[in-house]
Amino acid sequence: MKSNIIKITKYLLFSIFIFGIFSCGSSESSVEEQSIERNSKVAPNLQSSTNNSSGKLDNIFRMNYSDPPTFDPHLVTDTTSAGIIVELFSGLVTLDENLDIVPDLAESWVVSDDKSEYTFTLRKGLKFSNGDDLKASDFKWSIERAAHPDTGSYNAEVYLGDIVGITKIIESDGDVKDAEGIVVIDDHTLKLIIDKPKTYFLAKLTYPTAFVLNKKYVENTGENWIDKPVGTGPFVLIDYQIGQVLKIGRNDNYWGDPAKIEGVIFNLAGGTSMAMYENDEIDITGVGLADLERVKDPNDSLNKDLVDVPPQFTLSYIGFNVKEPPFDDINFRKALSHSVDKALIAEKIYSGLTKPAYGILPPGFPGYSENIKGLEYDLDLAKKYLARSKYADPTTRPRIIVTIPGTGGSPGLDTEVISDMWKTELGVEVEIQQVEWATYLQDMNRKRLQVWAGSGWQADYPDPQDFIDILFETESDINHGNYSNPEVDELILKAEIELDNNIRYALYNEAEQIIINEAPIFPLWFDTDGYALIKPWVKGYNFAPITVPKYKNISIE
Amino acid sequence: MIKYIIRRIIWMPILLLMVSLIVFGLGTYGPGDPVEVQLGNNYDEKTAQRIRDKMGLNDPFVFQWIRYVKNAVKGDFGESYVFKNRPVTSLLLPKLLVSAQLNLIAFLIAISIGTPLGFYAAVHYGTSKDPGVVISTLFFYAMPVFFTAPLMILIFALKLDLVPTSGWGGLFDKRIILPAITVGIPGSAVFVRLVRASMLEVLDSDYVKLARAKGVSEIMVLWKHAFRNAMLPVITIIGFTLAGLFGGSLIVEIIFGIPGVGRISLESVYSRDYPIIMAVVLIGSTALVIANLIIDFIYTLVDPRIEMQ
Repeated sequence: MKSNIIKITKYLLFSIFIFGIFSCGSSESSVEEQSIERNSKVAPNLQSSTNNSSGKLDNIFRMNYSDPPTFDPHLVTDTTSAGIIVELFSGLVTLDENLDIVPDLAESWVVSDDKSEYTFTLRKGLKFSNGDDLKASDFKWSIERAAHPDTGSYNAEVYLGDIVGITKIIESDGDVKDAEGIVVIDDHTLKLIIDKPKTYFLAKLTYPTAFVLNKKYVENTGENWIDKPVGTGPFVLIDYQIGQVLKIGRNDNYWGDPAKIEGVIFNLAGGTSMAMYENDEIDITGVGLADLERVKDPNDSLNKDLVDVPPQFTLSYIGFNVKEPPFDDINFRKALSHSVDKALIAEKIYSGLTKPAYGILPPGFPGYSENIKGLEYDLDLAKKYLARSKYADPTTRPRIIVTIPGTGGSPGLDTEVISDMWKTELGVEVEIQQVEWATYLQDMNRKRLQVWAGSGWQADYPDPQDFIDILFETESDINHGNYSNPEVDELILKAEIELDNNIRYALYNEAEQIIINEAPIFPLWFDTDGYALIKPWVKGYNFAPITVPKYKNISIE
Repeated sequence: MIKYIIRRIIWMPILLLMVSLIVFGLGTYGPGDPVEVQLGNNYDEKTAQRIRDKMGLNDPFVFQWIRYVKNAVKGDFGESYVFKNRPVTSLLLPKLLVSAQLNLIAFLIAISIGTPLGFYAAVHYGTSKDPGVVISTLFFYAMPVFFTAPLMILIFALKLDLVPTSGWGGLFDKRIILPAITVGIPGSAVFVRLVRASMLEVLDSDYVKLARAKGVSEIMVLWKHAFRNAMLPVITIIGFTLAGLFGGSLIVEIIFGIPGVGRISLESVYSRDYPIIMAVVLIGSTALVIANLIIDFIYTLVDPRIEMQ
């Protein structure tokens, strides 16, 4: 029977041999073969993905990314799409590294005395990436397009609804196309009229929904224009293959300093990020908790690449539905809030990567105040509040179900520890129920959840209104816990029309303090992301806590 | 026999219609809603309704289903809800091809290792070689891919630097080797067990005993009498495996960065991207139905005792 073994071995050898031949014979991968040439002036390095001997790719930045659901600025709802869109398109204003609103396509602007008319002067000689001239009328057309029902924008109302006439377009059957609040004065001057003075209006214009499209190009190309987007950002789309690769290259018609690198290659196919980084396949990767200890060791070869990532403007919290017992009792909510030692959890579970949150606005966010007093860990106080609450008796206390999203079967460690602390410290038992994300959203949006954890709020634009008003104003759709306090509503209303930022922020802080005292949510953490690895040849990469263009200042040296 | 095949072919669209109705119904009446997932935290009822209207999600269920079937018959599977303005076919086809290529190579590895090993084990029934083969293949079968895949990357990509850690370049790119082996080697255990069991059964049959009694040489007995007959159940599995060619393998795809159909299938369920879910299910069931038909047909060729009725 020896012959059988030999045959099997031959079999194996043969198959390995075949692979050997195939792999040697094809230096060009079919990814490149299939790629459609979209720009005649594509940098040569964007065409291949072969490393040179030093591991870097000259003038090209490489990273892992996910498939962006859309390139259309007016349809974007997610940060993945927005991250690419801000590189390809732009608007009147943008944010700088300090999150200050700075001119982009608009060179300057004048605000009328009643603060409801914004007159923008566009830069001279603006061009779209295909060479077409940009005129103020492109802006009018773009904003009206974003609002038009045929476009199907998910958030035109949020970002553009303040402009007079936009709501009418959104709510029409498609027959209304003109917003009287957008006035083209001449080719370089555009006036936007809003329904009432709102200081945060400019901040909203930094979001892609307010970005400009090339009217002529979109109308002539039809629905497929987005396959070859034409914009005004520092980069243009070179190639996109779903699930495989996305390449952007320098836009030579960009108004500002052209990008220092030729382009960026985003790998969309996944892969093991750390391994790819170590193998010089990508130039940047996040570091998870599992690898952190290793790379933090000064003897590790990766240690010199380690950089701090400033926190994102995110608040994660446990939400209480204040209309559902037992959370309709403020004493009960406060008891729960005071009984959890967040500092301990942050240190023991998150290795200090996470900052416990006691207020609502994240540190560094406009309007953030150090004077906000949170409900600190204080067990005696917690017990006092529980005793004072009408749900002090566990036998008559309504059942408490904490809903968390996901399919992993295990709740986040923090949720688990917190529910345990409630049980051991206060004798308050909760059940944790995990539902799949879509179901979770459905119940949350209907304000049907009693307690929910595992999600949070990430700022869309840098203004305290984005947290305080949106999450806690009585009528807000996103006020998922039915919180309502006339005093808070009034402060929010006052802040909305207040023009002095200092007074405005003070009003929001006042509201924030009231909200914190009433504990409609239990703030847990500000952002957790803490470390990344960047190859030594990458210079000028800037971690921004909000979605802003970031590749044009990178250089590969 | 032709009658039988025709009957089966007539049944096919009816079967697919039923499948589509069930999946469509689950999507519509199950919890979760695509518009809501898209809006995420920024949900407001007015906007959601407007977009549902535009997408036709507010039409009565039967209307929606009939519209879907009508378009599907014309080859139009609609546009993805998540990947806006992208036809499902242009999203899925490349991914299906990728998965099919990977699965094909993995299948070839599995069968070319599994069949001879199963044969070898059966022939050595009663000796220590038999359990030796079975246990060692089961060992690989039992290893979870989320363990073996990173291990392969560690050894072959990082330590030995033979291949890149991940990515996809088609059939003739070396990046297919690791994932194909990761899927193929555990798969060989299925063939080992199948071929072995089937061989043992055949070796114990009267006609093999007769052949041996007649003094036919052992090699002739094994090859001509036993092996060919033992391959019958293997054909069934081959058929089903081939039907599964268009299926994705999520974990392997994610770890090795392969743009296959597994990830998009799962993600489309989470995001309630019905057009993608429908297409994946329909393509899968069509492949299965056709594979079934072909297996039945091949059976009659291989084994004259089986008649189609």
